[in-house]
This record gives sequence, structure tokens and C-alpha cells, in this order.
Amino acid sequence: MRFPTGAATRTDLETAAERTYDAVVIGAGVSGAIMANELSTAGKTVLLIDAGPGEDLTVKGYESYLETFYRQAVKDNQSPYPRNPNAPMPRSVDIGPVAPGQPETSGYLVQPGPYITDTTYTRVLGGTTMHWEAKTPRFLPEDFEMNTKFGRGADWPIDYDELEPYYREAERELGVAADVDSQREIGLPFPDDYVFPMHGIPLSYLDQVVDTGIDGTTVELGGERLPLKVRPYPQARNGVPNPAFNDGEGYRPVGAVGTHRTDEGERCQGNNNCVPICPVQAKYHAGKTLAKALQTGRVELLTQAVASKVHIDPANGRVSGIEVKVYYDPDDPAHETGMITGHTFVLAAGAIETARLLLASDLPSTSGLVGRNLMDHAYLLNWALLPEVAGTMRGTVCTGGIVDLRGGGFRSGQAAFSVDIHNDGWGWATGAPYTDLLHLVDDHNLFGTGLRRDLATRISSQLLLAFMVEVLPTETNRVTVDPAYKDQLGNMRPVVSMTIPEYSMRGVAAARQVSKLIFQRLGAKDFTRYDPADPSYVEFDGEGYAIRGGNHLAGTHIMGTNKRNSVVDANQRSWDHENLYLVGGGSMPSIGSANVTLTLAALCYRTAKSMISELN
Amino acid sequence: MGPDRLDRFLALSAELTAFDVVELAGTGESDAYLATVDRIVGTGAVDALLDAHTAISEPPGQARDHQLRHSMLGDEFLGPLARNVIKLWYVGIWYQLPRSWREVNGARDGDVTFTISANAYTQGLLWPAVGANPAGARAPGWASWTEPPRLAKL
Repeated sequence: MRFPTGAATRTDLETAAERTYDAVVIGAGVSGAIMANELSTAGKTVLLIDAGPGEDLTVKGYESYLETFYRQAVKDNQSPYPRNPNAPMPRSVDIGPVAPGQPETSGYLVQPGPYITDTTYTRVLGGTTMHWEAKTPRFLPEDFEMNTKFGRGADWPIDYDELEPYYREAERELGVAADVDSQREIGLPFPDDYVFPMHGIPLSYLDQVVDTGIDGTTVELGGERLPLKVRPYPQARNGVPNPAFNDGEGYRPVGAVGTHRTDEGERCQGNNNCVPICPVQAKYHAGKTLAKALQTGRVELLTQAVASKVHIDPANGRVSGIEVKVYYDPDDPAHETGMITGHTFVLAAGAIETARLLLASDLPSTSGLVGRNLMDHAYLLNWALLPEVAGTMRGTVCTGGIVDLRGGGFRSGQAAFSVDIHNDGWGWATGAPYTDLLHLVDDHNLFGTGLRRDLATRISSQLLLAFMVEVLPTETNRVTVDPAYKDQLGNMRPVVSMTIPEYSMRGVAAARQVSKLIFQRLGAKDFTRYDPADPSYVEFDGEGYAIRGGNHLAGTHIMGTNKRNSVVDANQRSWDHENLYLVGGGSMPSIGSANVTLTLAALCYRTAKSMISELN
Repeated sequence: MGPDRLDRFLALSAELTAFDVVELAGTGESDAYLATVDRIVGTGAVDALLDAHTAISEPPGQARDHQLRHSMLGDEFLGPLARNVIKLWYVGIWYQLPRSWREVNGARDGDVTFTISANAYTQGLLWPAVGANPAGARAPGWASWTEPPRLAKL
């Protein structure tokens, strides 16, 4: 995919401030890139503003991310992306020991606690899709009707059937590889003749070992017996195109983004590194859509530009302009400030940054819900050693999992969850395989053949089950701002308060029991332990658990049926500001137990359609 | 001293890692690793490590392992250096020496945990030892993950 040369630097603040665009979009992640592409393809002029470094997306630039990743001794999920004090991002490694009663401030997110999340998002061109894992399950129909079906959480103002055509658009754009029958089996309706752009990514040998070992296992939840089976995940990753796609038109995979022709990115090579960066761009990232949008010639990109204040016309509540701070160098706070104007404005900066910007702008809000209802999946990690070498550390980070517990009547009492089988072993939980090497050398006093043999058996038989537990909207889980905490540019940092609701903790407790059952059936040695000193440690019903962040942020500008129960309408338009759209995970009233990107992409397609007809 | 010293370092490394000298040299990191250890702990300390290894005359087997543990890996000064050499080859990372070593022998400039280079990461021997590729490099190819792993017979 060709990125037009010079597109990242062609526009400057002075030039952009003189124009009036049909649409001004804040954030060049997946939502912003889709909005810019749809609007510009329909003939609209777009200014896309991004806080990240202002360089064209080139293969060389991408490889510099990869080099940075190679050189890090600690390879966390943001490790390829250099620090930028002018547009900082949360990094799990920054979170320090927390003193009781004191807020956690060493990371970018200010967290009063006591629960501290290690959730992240990425502030570079392409946004968090640069580091995402690219699993793209759809939400279940029942996820849209949580209140009606289970008396829990909130209903969406639209249902699955309404979103279904847009799911297909999102699957085309993201290039999803999956077999439709495997998705029908878990209760997802598709049009009869639908196929995904690409055939499913095959299950790993590790998945197969687990599936064989749990064959015939069922668990009881809420009085229902549910089967456990390893199923493949849909993934936005290049595999084998399905010639039957789009009524027999087929699908052409989108390769690496660069200013020159390149052959990279055509098919997944099994680098086992989807997170934090796919070295060959076989994984979808929003740069692919961004490059396409720029090719229309109607999108201008203003980079190194941090939106700092939304201005409103008090007479009618419409957005009159957005103030941006453009910096020259990530390490230097020097910047210029300007006002950008347009007919419509789209905030697509992610659930935390969009809420942060609205709150920092001190805008009136009828519902008072801006920043509230913050959601993220609560991840419970469980790790064990299989009795056999299973080839761990190979394949995409996750090819299969157990998704039969995503839905069911039990959701009236406890959270649903899905289970990822991690092909990359215990890394997320323990820092494997590095910690295994240190343990065997320093503690087991091994060297030579003994060391080599134990490394192979200990690492190649690792099984990590990551349970992605549903979290419902809770008004006290929220983003706020506080002038006491600012970044280098003087923008207020997000203050994030989260607790894991009891409904989710019941799901966490059930998840732990299910993991024990799976390990028993597999004859696997359970090594799971949760450290009470972990800032993400939560006690529930006499047991303690470490709850990891999911990087699936949602809910902060929740969608609903009227201006008192929600921030945006079903088209993601702000109830209070008619020319302002807030797009992305923040609009979601629920997140079920599915990764959020595909659904937020589908929402963007729906919103773009309505915006275009409005602009016309 | 040059080539001879490197040969001795490779012989020591081969014994510590169970990868042979050709495999070690094939990483392209031999010079860089020896230079790293020299730079951080000094050539004198490295020479002491090499001498301790050379002095072990037993043929491969239990008696030799016993000697290796007693005169090198279990030596308060040399043990942490030998273990760091193992870690260098396996993951390309110099790990900061243990606090107990630093307290006795003094903190050394440059003795912080770091990856030697991008290449050192991608050439880590841990990956072939576990039948995998270094995450993010030297990809094994489409669908390779569906088959059982191939591990070397030791």
C-alpha cells in the first residue's frame, strides 16, 4: 500500500488554520483512518490531526520500530514505540510500587487506586492497531441487549442486525481471515452466502494439544451445561484469500505500507510477535487505511499536533473550532498553538484521550456522562506446564481459544468470558522465556546440555490461558482531569479510576475454576499465582487475583437513546453538539467478551454513512 | 593474544551452552560478546575465567562437570561472570551482575541490563534451543505452527 510521499509533513498549522474543512478528524488510529477514508472517498475535504511523530509511513520507518523493539531488554507491548513526552502513552513498565492512599502517577495515567490498571493505548500514526493482536471476533447478538436479556448493564440503541452489514465492511477493510461456519457455530448470524475475505488462520499445534486434552469437557454455569472446545479466532491478518469472497470477486491482501513498492506483508510468516509489532505488516494496522485515505488527495494530515481544547459557540452549542498544539521535537516542549475550523468535527482519539479532551475543554454535558462508564476487559491469566512438549512460542500470538462461555443465561448472574490460548507461552504472566532462562541458570544451576534440555521442555510445554472477562458500564469507573497533573505540553493528563465490579469478579472466580478444570484434564502442572503486592491485585470472596488490563477501552462517551442517558446517539453524534461526532470504543454501552476493534470499525462505517448524507 | 583469546572464549561458551563453536560463531556475535565482557569487568577478570576453564583437564563427564562447578560456576568471583556469558549467548542480553558480586568487587561502569544489539537479539540461541524463532524475527513461515516442534536431540 503506497503512502503518498511527504503526506505527513505537507500541511502545517498555519496553512491548515486558514482552511475550513468539511470534516476535522482528531486521531489517526483505526477509527480516524476509516472516517477520513470514507469521507474523502465521498468527495469531502478532511483534515486528520495526530499527536504522534510526523513522519511518512515508510518501510524504513517501520523497521526502525522493529529495531527499537529488538534492542529493548524488556519487551513490553509498547516497546517499539519511542517515548514522546509531548504525547505520552501508558506503558505497563512505568507503573511503580503504589503506596496506600497515594495516587499512582509514575505512569502516564494518574490512578487514585486502590486498583491500578496496566492498560495501554498507542499514540503514533496508526494508533493502537500498531501493537494490537488483531483478533477480530464480532460481538454476539445478546451483547447488544444486556439489559433486556439479563437485566444487567445497558442495551445498545442498535442491535446486531442493524450493525451486521457494517461488520462486513469492517471485515473487508481490516482483511479478516476466518471460516464463517466456525463463527456460525457460536451463535453469530451471517447472510447465507457470506464468506470472509480470507480463509481462517490454522490452529497451532498447541491449540490442537489442548483441544484433544479437553475433548468432551463441559462446565456448568448458571444451571446450564456448556461444552469446552478449542475454536479458531477470526484475525485481521493476511492468510489465504478466499476466491468466493464478495460474490466470487475474491480478495487481494493489502501488504506493507511504504512510500515505495514493497513485497512485504502478503502473508503471515509466524513471527510470534503480533504484539507489539508484526515485523512484516501481515497484520492489519490503520496505516493501511490511512494510506488509502491520503491517496484520495482530499485528506491532509497534520502531525505532531495535540488537540488541546474544543471550542463551542455558546449560542447553539456547535463546535466552532479545535485548538491544537503543534510541537517540533518530541523532547522539546516548544510548540505553536492554532485554531482549526471545519463544518463537522470527529474525535477519534480512543476512549481515554477523547474523554480527556472533552473534559479538559470543560464543555457542558446534559447527561454528565462524559468520561464515565469506562470499560476494559478484565484479564485473568492462568499458566501451567503441559506434560508434553507442545511447540509453544510458535505461530501468531493467538490462533485459538475457548469461546463457548461468551454467551448464555448465566449472564444474569455473572460476567461472560472467552479464553485465549497464548502461543507465546507464559510471557504476559511471568516474562517468559527470559525469566525461565534466569531461573534455570541462576536458581537451578544448570549449564551445557542440562540447561539446553530443560529450557526446551520448560518453554515448549508452557500453556497460558488468558481469560477475557466482561466488564459492564459503571458510572464510577471513569476518566477525569486534574490541573495538578499535566504533560510536557501543558495538557492535563487522564485521571483514571477503575474498580472491577462484583459481577465481573464472579466471572473471574468462575474463570479460575474453569482453568483448574482444564489443567486437570490436561494433566498440566498449575504454576499460577497472584502476588498480593501487585497493584492490580483484587480480593474477592476470600481469594485474590491479579487483574490485567485488556487495552480494550470503551464506554467514556456512551451511546444511548436520549441526551439524558448517553453522550452520543446511535450515529455516534454528540447529543449536545450537533456538528461533533465521538467515534470509537468510547461509544460502546457493552463490550461482552470480544476484542473491540472490529466492532468500533463497524460503528465507524455506519457513522460515516450518516455523516456523508448529513454533509450532502 | 587476539585470535587465541577469542578461540578460548568460544571453547568456554560452547561448554556452557551446549552449542558448538561453529554454531556460536555463526551468530556473528563472538567478538561483540567477548568485547562486552572485557569492557564491563576488565580483561583481567575475563582472562581469569578463561584460565579457569583451560585448567580443567578432565574429559567430558561427571568428573569434569564437578570441576566446572567447583572452580568456575561455583566460584564466588567467576561464577556470576560465567552465568552472564551463558545469558549473553542465549538472549543477547548483558544482565547486571548480582548485588553480592558488586558489593565485593565494586560496581563496574556499564554494568546495567541491556541488549547488546538488534542482531544479538535475533541471534539468541534460546530460540533454536526451544524449537522456535526469536519473536519478531527469522520467521519460520506460513502455517509452520500447525506441526509439532522440532527439537534437537541432545
